Amino acid sequence: MRSLALDVLVALGVAGELLCCLGLVVFRNVFDRLHYAMAATTLPPIFVAAAVVVAEGRSSSSANAIAAAAFLFLLNPVAAIAVARAARAAE
Amino acid sequence: MNVWLIGATVLMGGFLPCLLVAARATALDALVALQLAGSTATLVLLLLSEGFHRPSYFAAPLVLSVLSFVGTLVIARFLARSSR
Repeated sequence: MRSLALDVLVALGVAGELLCCLGLVVFRNVFDRLHYAMAATTLPPIFVAAAVVVAEGRSSSSANAIAAAAFLFLLNPVAAIAVARAARAAE
Repeated sequence: MNVWLIGATVLMGGFLPCLLVAARATALDALVALQLAGSTATLVLLLLSEGFHRPSYFAAPLVLSVLSFVGTLVIARFLARSSR
């Protein structure tokens, strides 16, 4: 049961990230592409961090994985705003 | 080979679209592609760290998740200033 949960979580994380990478190519406008770059820092890291927590339980690995997912989730919107402002200024 | 290493290998395929956009599009689109490649690389390193069962490897994705943000911020400010 546990390995099934691991497989599902890792598969969801990888599939979500690949979907966002494809969206980067499909769309042409920098603002549309930003949506996909941001979506890539929301659910996929959370799925991968959850998989690590399921695998390792209470450990430093779990803490590191949660911290990395949290940094991606919290910091990247700030960078996206800076990119959007630069794109707006360039128009 | 375990699910972690398989996932990391498959996820590395996500760098191709980012490379394509970075090589062919404008500077700002390339920056968005770089930002996405940074978060994808963070996930690849997370999967590899767990796949190799080495807790010490987890420092790499942790540092990358912060530094990719800083890099994007600096380049965005530079592009904003140079377009004025």
